[in-house]
Amino acid sequence: MAEQFVGKASEFKDGERQIIRIGEDEIGVFRHAGAFYAYSNFCLHQGGPACEGLTIARVIEPLREDKTSMGLHFHESDMNFVCPWHGYEYDMKTGEHVADRRIKLRKYDVVQKGDEVYVLA
Amino acid sequence: MSSPKGAKAAASKSPVSKSPASKSPASKAKAAPRAAAKPAPAAKKAAARKAPSRAKAGDGDPTPAQKAAFLKALAGGVKPNSAALRKLEEKKGGAFAPSPPAPQRKVEVLRRIPAPAPRLETPETKDALRIAALIESGLARGELDKVQPHAQQALAAALCRLYAANHEMGERYPILTAQGAPVTATDVMVMCGALLKAVDLQVFELGMWQSWSSG
Repeated sequence: MAEQFVGKASEFKDGERQIIRIGEDEIGVFRHAGAFYAYSNFCLHQGGPACEGLTIARVIEPLREDKTSMGLHFHESDMNFVCPWHGYEYDMKTGEHVADRRIKLRKYDVVQKGDEVYVLA
Repeated sequence: MSSPKGAKAAASKSPVSKSPASKSPASKAKAAPRAAAKPAPAAKKAAARKAPSRAKAGDGDPTPAQKAAFLKALAGGVKPNSAALRKLEEKKGGAFAPSPPAPQRKVEVLRRIPAPAPRLETPETKDALRIAALIESGLARGELDKVQPHAQQALAAALCRLYAANHEMGERYPILTAQGAPVTATDVMVMCGALLKAVDLQVFELGMWQSWSSG
């Protein structure tokens, strides 16, 4: 595992993404809420560009005490990203599929040294 | 159960029974020097049989797993900057020079996806949100007559025209979001029916318009 320079943190706006290629690996690097996350850009469903679709807050359905629905709401902090091919939705913080946590994108560690951002790949 | 006859036959077939060691003590004494000079065929055979097993169980011999590990290490070669390489260089008489670091793999930026456009909080937006919050809080308290019908008509008309104008300009966004107070399907049908009736339209005409246009 070597540190691969991705870019400068100051040029990476919050909510922005970069799709990079290191050797044969295609990696999506996200900046969300100040933190960096990097995942394999190959969707576990059919190999689509998993990191290039919508970023959308997690949809939740709160229930009242009598277990009736209060409608669908967006979660305040949990963010997901969606593969544009068939809608596989992954957790931004873990890379896990939101409906089946056993399905997980390959995660790469991201190191920030001063203003420089590196991916360990 | 074996018969005495069978036992006799077996004894005659056995190579042990033919060896000098199995004879009487007198003949044994005679045969001893000969046995010492030349090993008996039976003893030879036994030694040959034992030889492979001794090789397997010997203390100094590597086990199959050790052999496999050795071959694997041999195929892998001497790793750079390792103690093994240092020793090898010293034996050769040369100075140990650490091998250069592995070349950095090239990072290629394929695409840059910008962050979604931030929501602008204009003064008009703030006012509209304040009015929406006022109506919602009144509904929660069951105060249905606080916003009089003429005010509702003005709000509905303005919102209808604003949404249609944005739609015409290509600004497509959902009129309702999942956030906030949920709007039920009944609410939507009542409101849509009222809007259609206000402009004297039938549901059939709405369907025709939707099928002919991109709306």
